[in-house]
Amino acid sequence: MTRILITILGLVFLGSALAQTPPLIRFGRGFAAEEQLWLMSVRTDLTPNQGKRYQLKQILFQANPERFQAFLAGELDGGTAPGLAVIFARAQGVDMKIVASICMEAAGGQYFTTQYMVKDDGPIRSVKDLKGGTIAVVGIKTATDLWARAGLLNAGLVPDKDTKVVPMAFPAIGDAVRTGKVSAGTFVEPFFSAEMAKGGLRKLFTATEALGYDHELLDIFFGEKFLKANPDAVRAFLADYVAVTKYYLANTAQAKTDLHKAGFVRTPLPIYLKTSDWKRDPDARVDVESLKKLSAFMLDKLQWLEKPVNVDSMVDQSYLPR
Amino acid sequence: MRFVLVGIALLGWEAAARSGIWSPLLFPSLVNIGYELGQFLVTAERLHEAWVSLTRALGGFALAAAAGILLGMLMGRSALAAALLDPLFSGTYAVPKLALFPIFIFVFGIGSLSKVALVFLECLYPIVIMTYHGARGVNRVLLWSAQNMGASRAQTLRRIVVPATLPYVFAGFRVAVPVAMIVVVITEMVSSADGLGYLVIYSLSSLKTDRMLAVVVVIALLGYLLDKAIVLARDRLIYWEKLDTYYV
Repeated sequence: MTRILITILGLVFLGSALAQTPPLIRFGRGFAAEEQLWLMSVRTDLTPNQGKRYQLKQILFQANPERFQAFLAGELDGGTAPGLAVIFARAQGVDMKIVASICMEAAGGQYFTTQYMVKDDGPIRSVKDLKGGTIAVVGIKTATDLWARAGLLNAGLVPDKDTKVVPMAFPAIGDAVRTGKVSAGTFVEPFFSAEMAKGGLRKLFTATEALGYDHELLDIFFGEKFLKANPDAVRAFLADYVAVTKYYLANTAQAKTDLHKAGFVRTPLPIYLKTSDWKRDPDARVDVESLKKLSAFMLDKLQWLEKPVNVDSMVDQSYLPR
Repeated sequence: MRFVLVGIALLGWEAAARSGIWSPLLFPSLVNIGYELGQFLVTAERLHEAWVSLTRALGGFALAAAAGILLGMLMGRSALAAALLDPLFSGTYAVPKLALFPIFIFVFGIGSLSKVALVFLECLYPIVIMTYHGARGVNRVLLWSAQNMGASRAQTLRRIVVPATLPYVFAGFRVAVPVAMIVVVITEMVSSADGLGYLVIYSLSSLKTDRMLAVVVVIALLGYLLDKAIVLARDRLIYWEKLDTYYV
């Protein structure tokens, strides 16, 4: 009799403990430009809600398709993704929403914007000279692919027909351009700084020049079902995220040092500290208009979409701190 | 009867796809895959991509066949060649040559040549090793008989060694052909602006799993047809040794 009572009491306590456990957010992350998110796992002292109102498990993915497949398989609740990747997903009917911004491609000397570079002493002086050549991007239908095609279209060239667009890993692009294996290549930080230090490369155009406006690069998305089931957890997560973003912007060197120490970044620390950064909104607000322009460009100019995507219904910023 | 298992697998797939357990973006219906396959077969651009992959695969395979038969024969009939080359092939057989693809890109460029070169390297091993064992295992009685009858080295090679080795050569071909298709598709997935591997990545990046699986079906069909072509050629050329199996 005593044993039964102890068992029942134990179960009651266990149930009570489980009920108090905050929801776990299984979050798919990438490997570039997501500093403030990584910092949430490295500097938990900056995230007062973590462990109390939500638990965070960050899972690394090398590419967007795998991240979305994991999301579709129910293995992720949310994650990071380029705006255009979420546009693709929404076009296929995936129930996900952008809830916050991570960083933007923005013009202006103080921000980094993705560079397209050519051999310094090579024959290519303008984008038009890329006719008959090859341009290296990091993946097909990625943001780097979109900017490359935009740059070619601006110069009156037809991508794939006049100029081949080929995927190549970031670390290989510098030498591929120098040795003439490709005519031009995409460079993001920290590869951009490392390659510039080596020399022999020259800027042809940038991502913002190709599109002609500042636009969302990376965003945070969540599944709609998760948002509806766990609104408080998402609000708490985003409150911490915004706080960490503000800390990161105010204490960038210290934040980068902490991330490097934790192994999130493998670039040598002196180079990492010197690299310029993408534009990050301190309140994590999403530039919805730029996403609309991107969507229209993908539909009209690139024929990457079969039908228009409703960007307004794709973004929900109501979970961000007011 | 031969296609019962295939039919069961297809029915199982369709049942799973229609169960609603998985997202259709992950597990598309056979109807959708069939539609995309139909679109593939009537779209000139996509057929051209298949042709690009096929020529790369067959180009690398043909080079490997030529070099592999030569090297395998040499190793099989020369103790010195075997002593020199066998450690090289045995020692590097298990190396995943795909890992060398970035180097191949730098040496041969980002176009077809780097892919053909890698297909050549991957196909070379099974052809060399099978040919080597075939040439080494020629029945001694036949060789002695040829020598006793006054056959020259060239005649012995042409009339005894080559016919006795041919079944092994074709066995090597049958291993190498699917390898050629796999390697060409993977290299196109890694770095290419054309070919079936490019179509796979393009479809995946668009979350068009049904279209991607239609391309996979095309790759499988091409592999199947190439294998059948090799079996047909083998049966024609090696008419004295049919592939008969007695089940007990």
